[in-house]
Formats: sequence, C-alpha cells, structure tokens
Amino acid sequence: MSVVGQRERREGSPILDALRSMLLLELWVGLWVTLKNQFRPHITVEYPKETVELSPRFRGVPRLRYHPENGEELCIACHLCEVVCPDDCIHIVSEKKPDGKGKRLVSFEINYERCCFCGLCVDPCPTKPLTAIYMSHDYEMADYKREGFIAPLKTLLDGVDPKDYKE
Amino acid sequence: MDQKALIEQVAIPILQVLIAVAVVPLLILYLQLVERKVLGFMQVRLAPRRVGWHGLLQPIADAVKLMTKEDTIPAKADRFLFTLAPIVTVAPALAALAVIPIAGTPFEVLGYQVRPWISDLNIGIVYLLAISSLGIYGIILGGWSSNSKYSMLGALRSSAQMISYEVPLGFALIGVMMLAGSASTVSIVEAQRSSGWWYVLPQIVGFFCYFISAVAETNRVPFDLPEAESELVAGFHTEYSGMKFALFFLAEYTNMIVVSSIVTIAFFGGWLRPFPNVEALSWVENGWVFATPLVLGAFLGWLAGQRLGSLNPMIVGGALGALLGFGIAVADPGGIASMQVPVLSGAFWFTLKVSFFLFAYIWFRGTYPRYRYDQLMQLGWKWLIPLSVGNVIVTGLVMLLVGRP
Repeated sequence: MSVVGQRERREGSPILDALRSMLLLELWVGLWVTLKNQFRPHITVEYPKETVELSPRFRGVPRLRYHPENGEELCIACHLCEVVCPDDCIHIVSEKKPDGKGKRLVSFEINYERCCFCGLCVDPCPTKPLTAIYMSHDYEMADYKREGFIAPLKTLLDGVDPKDYKE
Repeated sequence: MDQKALIEQVAIPILQVLIAVAVVPLLILYLQLVERKVLGFMQVRLAPRRVGWHGLLQPIADAVKLMTKEDTIPAKADRFLFTLAPIVTVAPALAALAVIPIAGTPFEVLGYQVRPWISDLNIGIVYLLAISSLGIYGIILGGWSSNSKYSMLGALRSSAQMISYEVPLGFALIGVMMLAGSASTVSIVEAQRSSGWWYVLPQIVGFFCYFISAVAETNRVPFDLPEAESELVAGFHTEYSGMKFALFFLAEYTNMIVVSSIVTIAFFGGWLRPFPNVEALSWVENGWVFATPLVLGAFLGWLAGQRLGSLNPMIVGGALGALLGFGIAVADPGGIASMQVPVLSGAFWFTLKVSFFLFAYIWFRGTYPRYRYDQLMQLGWKWLIPLSVGNVIVTGLVMLLVGRP
C-alpha cells in the first residue's frame, strides 16, 4: 500500500511541487470552482410555490375511489384491507344493502397517525379493474390537531382542499 | 474664524460623520444580504427569497428582529463589561471610516466646499492601524465577561490571532508608505496618480501579505477561529443576543468595509480609473452614466439569480443596464452624459474596487475551510512576517538604487 502512495507522491518533480505551493495553485483552483458554481442553474425547489413531479408509482396517503360509472363509492365493504392492515389503522362500519345483495359502507376511517404507507391494503382489494383503495399522490397531511389525522369517508374520497389547513 | 470657514471645517465634517454612521449600517445590512446570496449561489442553492422581491427586504426583517429581540445577560456575567464590550468593538470600527476618501476632488454645495473625506490626517494609515487594533479589546472583554468557556476560548484565540497578524499588517503597508512618501490616505492615492501605476504592481507581495492578514484581522473565513461555529458555538459572542449581538455584527462588517477600502486606497489607486493613458477608454471617465446602470443591472440580475434557465442572469442584467446607459448616453438628456463630475466618477471607481474586495471576502468564505490553530500561527509567523519584512527591505533597496518611482 505504502509503495503506491510513495509512487504517487513522486510523480511531480520537487521543483514543480514547490512552485505549485508557492503560487498557491490549489487555492486558485478552489476559487475558480466556487466562481463557476455561481452560474450553475439551481436545483432547489421552492416547495409551497413549486412542487416536484411525482413518479406514477409514488405512494402517498391511501385514499378511496369513486365508482367510475355511477359515482358512488367503489368499496364493497369486504373488510379485507381492515384485516390485512399491519398498523390496524383502518376502521370500517358496514351494513347490509336494503335490496338484500351485498354490503355498503356506513363509515370508513383511516388513522394516518398510525398508517405506515406500506400499501398492503391495496393488494387484497377485490374490485376490478380498479382497486377501491389506492395509494394516492397526496402527501401534504400536516394538521394542528390529532383528530385531523383520522380521515372520514368524505376526505378519503375527495381528498383535502389545501385551503382547509387552518388553525 | 469667519462663518464660512466655521461651516466648512466644523459643521460639514460633523454632518459627514452623521451620514457615515447612518449610511454604513444600512450598507452593511445589504452587504449581508449579498453575502448570503453569493454564498447561496456558490453552493448552488437559492439563498433568501421569501421576504420582499427575491428576498430584497430580508435585511430589514433581520434588523427588526435583532432590535426587538430580548437582550439577555447571563446571570454570572460581569454586567458592566458585558455591556461595554460591544461598544468598545463597534466604536473603533466606525472611527476608522474617518480617514477614508471616497473621491479625489472637493466639490461645492451651496457655495461651501465639501471634501469627499471626513478628515485627511497626515498619519492616516498609522491611525487606521492603531484604531483597528483597538477593536480587539472589545472582543476580549466580551469573551471574558460572558463567563462562558466557549466565549473565553473564542476571545483567547482572537487575541492570539490579532497579535500575530498585526505585525505583517503594519509591515505590508510600510512598503506603500515608502513609495508614496506619505502616510496620508489622500496623498497615497495622489502619489499613485503621479507615478502612473497602482502600487499593487511594485508591492504585489505587500498586497498579498496585507490582504491575508487583514482577513485574519477581521476574523473572517478562513481565519474565523474566534467564532468557529462548528467548534465554539459562536465564539466570543456566544452569550450575546439582540442589539448587543447586532453591534458585534456591525463591527465585523464595518471592519470588512474598512479593510477593503484600505486595500483599494493603498494598492489599487483609490478613486483613480484604470488605464488613465488609454484614450480609447476615456469614455469611462465621463461614462459613469453608462457604467452605473451596467453595474447596477448586473448586480440586480445577480441578486435575482439563476431564474432565467440557461441564461446567465448577471450577464443579462448587465446587458440590459448597458443598453439603458447607452440610451442615456445617446439621448443625452440635459447634457448629463457629457457632464464632467469628477466626484461621481471617483466615487464610482472607489465603490467598484471596494465591492470587489468585499466580494473576495465572501468568495473566500464560500471556498476555504477554516485553518487549524497551529496552521494559523505557522502562516502568520513563518510566512507572512518574514515575507512582509523582506518586502520592506527589498522596496527600500530598490528605492535606494533606482530612486523613487
């Protein structure tokens, strides 16, 4: 190891090395680097004003979908996501449909304080071709109260209007 | 003394002092914004942009914050010295401005003669050296009276550093004083005019010695050991808050301005324009109308910074400013472009040169890591002191053989 190090050190002649340090060459190179850097285009995103483009597979908060045709919620209240959720953050109340076939939602709550964004709830969802529960692109979920993190059915379906973030 | 002389020699200098003391803090506020901007750009980020247009009101917000902040004094601090320290630091820094001439020729306002400097001492440079080394007492007092180990360490480092770098600082300027045959700031610039070259050429070694020691003397990166935020929290002003901290801050930046002015005066010809013999460039002399918008445009473009895609906003701003200046020069409203105003063109060149050295300060801060304590001492005692003494000896020998240039 030390042989390699010594060889590297011997590359420049001692006179050149002395000249280099006399003329403070490294310092000038450093100054040149910072001077150049000033004119590079910035990469900072000014967040509330601008946002980054999300990848299609980005996993934000889990939300529910409307039925694409009749405008009702797509969820058939099978409770599979509630069962599979490792954090126990989904709470579903359902009732029999009046016409006898299947069940419908009474309430659907996700507690985002507990949610770990694992996406396991999406995997067993039986509705085809779209899953009723999906990982949305929403990620702005700050709130002033703990209650704000328990999302009711309406929030899950419609998302949150950013203007609603008020104390 | 008749009334006219009384006004010229007493009232106007007092007014000038008031203006200097009022204007310099404002300049410093914006110098600090420039520093943050330039540092940001050097690190490829955006720097302050939220307060006002492109962050232009940020310094005002900072000032309001500093002035309204609670001013705490540690329970075990020496209250008297703790309060005295920032005053002792800031007073010499502001006093040093007295001998800095911003232009060469006196001008008349309402029939009274106004000189573009407050005082032309015949020992101007010596006065500057003396007064700037007084500021260190404030730092030591502040560090000691805080009764905090970080402040104490910062103050100790500061005193060691100042003692080491005071010597090359003085010696580096002796070469200039020998060449000019005077220690007055105004006569040094006049001597550079009559000798035909700026003293940076014959005194290049002195210039480097002076500038490096001056950076160390003002406790700036890479010699910011007294503050050393990564080692000593904030060094000597760890315990200071509110207005007292603002005074330390003010002193540091005033010292930067003073040092940049001395470099400009002693080595770069003060208010003289470059290449006075080149006829092709003589439009610059009257062309402050042209040059001021150019520089301002470039500066604003730079502040706006990096928002124009691949175009360089500084060059775009400069080009727009140059166009504006060219327009003014061609249209010549009220004969403004052909007007000879030596004070304005002098002040323009002086400001431009001082700005460059202030930029160099920030440039160093964006580039260099901090010196280790022993490296600092080594640089001071083993390099700068012998170099600056050698410079004085060589200058003397050459002057003895060749005669004064």
